[in-house]
Amino acid sequence: MPQLDTSTWSITILSMIITLFLVFQLKVSKYYFPEDPKPALVATPKPATPWEKKWTKIYFPLLLPL
Amino acid sequence: MNENLFSSFITPVMMGLPIVIVIVMFPSIMFPSPNRLINNRLISIQQWLVQLTSKQMLAIHNQKGQTWALMLMSLILFIGSTNLLGLLPHSFTPTTQLSLNLGMAIPLWAGTVITGFRYKTKASLAHFLPQGTPLPLIPMLIIIETISLFIQPMALAVRLTANITAGHLLIHLIGGATLALMNISAATAMVTFMILILLTILEFAVALIQAYVFTLLVSLYLHDNT
Repeated sequence: MPQLDTSTWSITILSMIITLFLVFQLKVSKYYFPEDPKPALVATPKPATPWEKKWTKIYFPLLLPL
Repeated sequence: MNENLFSSFITPVMMGLPIVIVIVMFPSIMFPSPNRLINNRLISIQQWLVQLTSKQMLAIHNQKGQTWALMLMSLILFIGSTNLLGLLPHSFTPTTQLSLNLGMAIPLWAGTVITGFRYKTKASLAHFLPQGTPLPLIPMLIIIETISLFIQPMALAVRLTANITAGHLLIHLIGGATLALMNISAATAMVTFMILILLTILEFAVALIQAYVFTLLVSLYLHDNT
């Protein structure tokens, strides 16, 4: 059986080690799997009530003429 | 006839140069490295397949075991691509060589066992004695468990070698039979040809399955030891 001829074993094992542990791992290490970025939940601002749209002097308590 | 049958398993040497190096490295050409942000279809398909396989295979491992992801993925790619390329006519399949399979199995298995000894010494030694064995059986059981531990790399290597070699031999034999029968009786040759086709389909499956089994077992040994 030619597989049991040990004269060629060293070169076969050496080439396998180079291929498996160097070449293939260098290629697979360059694979990147992009994450799926999900948009962050943006808090919708509360719609301004009519009396808050206009800033008037009376909202400063310390400025009230009392 | 004997010499002719096994001649495809001789390590190829062309004019004194061992071209087996080139043959072993050849499947890596089928997997181009991704260099761009958006790659071409071939690389994208391969990346997707690797992602699918790695998710499936690494799901059972913990943090420590998942550091082996690169090793396991390149292992399954190497064995799978080598086996599939070996199905081309007149090609040399490196995985039929016992040397290559032993060279893969022993370091990987030893790596898993040594990892287990380093990080979980008591637990990995405890594997030698299953829970709840009656006291008089203990010495015999430890011997049996030790033997079954040391036979793991041998079984890995010989399983892969034997399966791929047997498949290739069958294809050679049945192909030769079909050729010889063509002059004698065309109908029998047709039957043999159908058998050849079925066998080739089987060999495609075996090529992939053997890669999977090898990698799965390594991953299982890893799981026991991390």
